[in-house]
Amino acid sequence: MKPLPLAMRIGILGLTCAIIVLIALMTSGANPAEVMTALLTDTFRSPTAFADTLKRFCPYMILGVAVFWALRAGLFNIGVEGQFLMGGMAGTVVALQIGGLGGVILGALAGTLVGALWALPAAWIRAYRGGHEVISTIMLNMIAFQLSNHLVSGPIMDPEAGFPTTKTLPPESMLSGIQIGDVNVNWALGLGIGIVVAFGWWLRRTVAGYELSVTGANSTAGAFAGIDVRRTTFSALMASGAVAGLGGGLQAVAFEGRFFMGFSTGYGFDALGVAILAGSNPLGIIPSAFAYGLLQQGALAVQTLHVPPGIATLILSLLVILFSAFRYAKVRHSNG
Amino acid sequence: MGDLSFVTNWGMFTAILGLAALGGMFSERSGIVNIALEGKMLMAACITALVGGVSGSPILGLSAGLASAVLLSLSHWALTQFYQVDHIVSGMGINLFAYGATNFIALTFIKPEVPNQFLPIPFYFGCLALSIGASWFMFSRMRAGLRLLAVGENPDKARTTGIEPLQVRLWALVLAGILCGLSGSLIVTNSGSFGDNLTAGRGFIALAALILGGWRPLSVALACLAFAAFEAAQIQFQGAPVLGYQLPAAFWKSLPFLITLIAMAGLVGRTKAPSGLGKI
Repeated sequence: MKPLPLAMRIGILGLTCAIIVLIALMTSGANPAEVMTALLTDTFRSPTAFADTLKRFCPYMILGVAVFWALRAGLFNIGVEGQFLMGGMAGTVVALQIGGLGGVILGALAGTLVGALWALPAAWIRAYRGGHEVISTIMLNMIAFQLSNHLVSGPIMDPEAGFPTTKTLPPESMLSGIQIGDVNVNWALGLGIGIVVAFGWWLRRTVAGYELSVTGANSTAGAFAGIDVRRTTFSALMASGAVAGLGGGLQAVAFEGRFFMGFSTGYGFDALGVAILAGSNPLGIIPSAFAYGLLQQGALAVQTLHVPPGIATLILSLLVILFSAFRYAKVRHSNG
Repeated sequence: MGDLSFVTNWGMFTAILGLAALGGMFSERSGIVNIALEGKMLMAACITALVGGVSGSPILGLSAGLASAVLLSLSHWALTQFYQVDHIVSGMGINLFAYGATNFIALTFIKPEVPNQFLPIPFYFGCLALSIGASWFMFSRMRAGLRLLAVGENPDKARTTGIEPLQVRLWALVLAGILCGLSGSLIVTNSGSFGDNLTAGRGFIALAALILGGWRPLSVALACLAFAAFEAAQIQFQGAPVLGYQLPAAFWKSLPFLITLIAMAGLVGRTKAPSGLGKI
């Protein structure tokens, strides 16, 4: 079968995606233009909506780095969701125990450590036993989900609360922020942007970053050039887990102030999309994470028009598919 | 009474996992990584409930459900084969799409006052028995099955012997769609109505069973039998002590995943994936 020209193939896919979104908009029972406006602009409607978007923007950014890190080494860390959950739970427990600024710092560190630990089986199985990291991290996600739900509805649950949650951190034991206009910008956001920039620098300017990219691009060539591919693979997954755990710890001490059932609204799974939409430059994570936060905020807003929130997920999934088809086609095209 | 419900649940979960895992097996043995079992099941569950309720015909409902799962399966085929999208990315995209789309469809179109129409559950047990037998026969005795295995092991070599991998994989994914669709329809039949994320990760348990069973029909069926027993045990023993120990439900729910992880680490009998998995 002769392949169609690139532009035509992408055009067909794009058109299909557009038609699906249009059908959804037309059948939703609301005015399509109003739905789109709500989806795209609700973030800017009020300071509260903007603050809520920032609360999602931050973990999307940090988890985006976690996924990107592994992706550069040719690895899919589907496990960021589990690492985020475990990190968030560990961070909350530590911050509750210690309190104050020390609690904030140690809580974030505990999250980082537990996130890395949660990635350890997957990293070891991948690097030294040859088992696929996608499968092992899916298993680890399911275990993290069960374990955190179990602990938060028993051992670490606040006995006075009516539903599975820990005690809430007092304001002085949480990471604060600066007030810009009506919006409180948490320091965690600065930290998140710092992590993205530092990671981008590390990837481009250090030997370790270069080894990571080479391993991802062609591990056989890397091995010939003297790179320890197993070690690089192992440390890439561990680092990815650590960053995801830090994201969880920060979410707990900066935004949520507690751990509860439903702590993650699927941040880890969305982060896979964030990393793919970011393209080949790590700095792309920032706009892509913001777009995710914005559309998820819009998903809440469309419900006031009696449109199900799933429409945002539907649009995002089609964007990811379309973008990855375009990107892979582009790469293959340029390779000849 | 209690023992009887254990057996019923065990059979139910075996059928749900078994149908999905066999679907995954057809896809993966043909060389296409499939983490989108969950999405196909979710979509089929939703469409079966919707069309069955609206048309009043359970057969129409099931057919539409299967068609929707096949459509998702074919999207996976087109994306991985024509657009060369990474199999994991495509699978993840399809799972996400199914999650969003079913939430949208269920809340927009499914009216709670319309009574649901489902086929009787024994029908699905028949399907499971048939598909285990047929897939075993196909992989060991039939030309089509051997061709599928050849494509999965080495698509280039298969091509030189005149097999068209693209076509073989198309049919493999149609079968995968049908089997995952049956599994999803059974889930919604068992629960009585559709709700958000109704499949609750069963597609991933099926994936685990597929790996633990080493991508072979009978072993996969055995792995499903074992995993289903854990899930039934979790309902049975909820809160009650087992051999003097108080085991939380989370333990039973995590057991299939723990066992798969341990198996992957090579501590109990290692299994080998089809060597052409993920190759073009």
